[in-house]
Amino acid sequence: MILAALPEPSPFGDVLMAFLSILFEGAPYIMIGTLLSGLIDAFLPAKLLDKVLPKNKVLSTLMAGFLGLIFPVCECAVVPVIRRLVKKGLPLSCALSYMLSAPIMNPIVAVSTLTAFKEFERITGWATLGNASMTIARLSLGYLVAVTVGLIVLRFKPAQLLKASVAESIEESAIEAAHNHAPQSSFNAKLVHAFRTAMGDFLDTGMYFTIGVIITSVFNTQVDQSILDTVAANGLLAIPSIMGLAFILSLCSTSDAFIAAPMASFSMAAKLAFLVFGPMMDIKLMFMYAAVFKRRMVVAMLLGTFLLIAFLANPWMDLIQILQTTSKP
Amino acid sequence: MSGTRTLIHLISVSLLFIWSAVLLYFYYTGRVNEYLPGDGIFRPMVLVTGIGLAVMGLFNLLTMGSEVAGCEGHDHGYGGCGHDHDHDHKHPEGCGHDHSSHDHVHHEGCGHDHAHKDHKEGCCGHDHDHSHSHSTCGHDHSHSHDHSHDHHGHGILEESGWTGRLVAILILAAPITWAAFNSPDRFSANAVMNKGVYNQNYASTARADEFTLRGDGNKPSRAAPKPIPMPDAPLAAPDKFNDPAEVAKADASKPKEAQSYGSFTLEDLKQQVPQNSKGQFVLEVPEIYYTGGDLEVQRVITGQAIETVAQILPEKVNNADGHRLRIFRMLVQCCAADARPYSVPVDFGKKAPDFKEMTWVKISGTMSYEKEGDQTIPVIKATNVEETTAPDNTMIY
Repeated sequence: MILAALPEPSPFGDVLMAFLSILFEGAPYIMIGTLLSGLIDAFLPAKLLDKVLPKNKVLSTLMAGFLGLIFPVCECAVVPVIRRLVKKGLPLSCALSYMLSAPIMNPIVAVSTLTAFKEFERITGWATLGNASMTIARLSLGYLVAVTVGLIVLRFKPAQLLKASVAESIEESAIEAAHNHAPQSSFNAKLVHAFRTAMGDFLDTGMYFTIGVIITSVFNTQVDQSILDTVAANGLLAIPSIMGLAFILSLCSTSDAFIAAPMASFSMAAKLAFLVFGPMMDIKLMFMYAAVFKRRMVVAMLLGTFLLIAFLANPWMDLIQILQTTSKP
Repeated sequence: MSGTRTLIHLISVSLLFIWSAVLLYFYYTGRVNEYLPGDGIFRPMVLVTGIGLAVMGLFNLLTMGSEVAGCEGHDHGYGGCGHDHDHDHKHPEGCGHDHSSHDHVHHEGCGHDHAHKDHKEGCCGHDHDHSHSHSTCGHDHSHSHDHSHDHHGHGILEESGWTGRLVAILILAAPITWAAFNSPDRFSANAVMNKGVYNQNYASTARADEFTLRGDGNKPSRAAPKPIPMPDAPLAAPDKFNDPAEVAKADASKPKEAQSYGSFTLEDLKQQVPQNSKGQFVLEVPEIYYTGGDLEVQRVITGQAIETVAQILPEKVNNADGHRLRIFRMLVQCCAADARPYSVPVDFGKKAPDFKEMTWVKISGTMSYEKEGDQTIPVIKATNVEETTAPDNTMIY
């Protein structure tokens, strides 16, 4: 049953159409992320993180980059989770390397990339694993960039990078920890707390997501996309421009490979840049990051990852493709 | 729970219900089919999320009194479980408290049998009051800090001033509701053009394996035993599409000339493609599109009668005499926003008939191919064109 006759298509209707479709695609993951965030806040003892992670901060940052393999989340889900983990006392360097790498270094994304680039068919056994160049290049470069950002952040104090409110709650948990308070509230109380936090986080994240999706859908339907093809043909501009596209399109990392794969006019290296940069930085993420980090930090991350990926994409793809030729029977 | 907090809580719950309602409405009316592809988990996830948000909202609605009651009226603004900013104004002296005494007072006031940290974990869990005290004393954060769009604790709605709250509520409620009521579920010609209906690359191999007319013995045929509607069973690719070197080459290059992919005969075509009562091969536009990249298929299908259903637009390239129209179908990967038009020109050999743009038409004609620039373009020489109703799936997934 449809409530009323559908309106006639119009340019404005195009925006609504694109808006809803991205919303339908993304909302499930935001819900999953915020439920996780609520549960973490209620049930994860702050000290557990300290126990599990290595004391050495460099080591723990390097490890955090792999966490996505165990806790696979896409970029919409990771932001509320990370905000919560930072408040729970996860070192910022680990938080950042997890935040940036988890949407790439995770099994769901690996499978979707393998599928989109038809790399499953190329792997016939362990010996030909190297043939999945795009998937290998994507996961490894994503990890490298994320960990690099995490290690750079080691040099800063959290208060310099985080929003005042988030930074204060870290001090808070430190004090709580020092006082050695034991969390012993009942399961029910914790559950109530988890759901309440999840609701707040969903609405927060949902608001920034909505703003990002509006901008994305305007671009997606109102701007002539063939401009991109012209730019793609230019070798020098191809990588920066496809990264700009990733930024504007704000795709989910679980499905962006399906968009990148058919872009026939772009080189593999350019697609790699698209697939690594997109999950780390895009319009909706800018808004979502602003909920955790100082504005300066968000801009610095944007520029830093952009330059890093733009310069690394080409040599990295070449490097990975060597793997392919040597491992071929 | 203070009046403000109750109100915010109720608004939050309502916002969840709005999102849930839109998701469930689109799922149950089937309108979601116009937005997300049928394969994969996209559509079921809309249902799951609709239910999930409703549950989240309902749970919060039912539990809103239970925990909070114990905190109510608590001195330190733990009342309301700690989001009320009045706290800051009422209790600037609160700065003087050290945390243990703060906790202690709370512990008693809250009336729960929780240990010290309980008010953090259980009694609505807000560490943040402490930090408010920090901010009022330690730092010179002003009043405005608390009223900025901070993500403190439970978020914008609970941590902002009323302007911020109203903006947030508006952003969360208005676009999704507006779009749900006003989305046409279809793209207009404007979007189709912006998405590149006149800028096609027929030699692309991107999704060629799904739409190639080739098949072999053990691959599903669309022709027998009875025609299967389009996107159901993608035909497997000829080896060439699976050869990494070939695909890499194809991916890396610009639009280029059609290639040879090995032998293909009229028998193969009949084997793979259903024919209608007039003996015309019933093809989808993407299938016609991809013949532009395959020399052997072209050789066989040239001059054959075909029929297809598609939407129509005026032809804007290579149409000086006005004999042509362009037909297209939208192909979707993950959601409607990434839909791309696949189009081919239709030549009438005389002044093309007038159709309102975006009209669904059934076109019969014979296949021909033209070289233009560096591509081979499939052109349908139309013998008949008539308006028709839209197919069940307006987009191909």
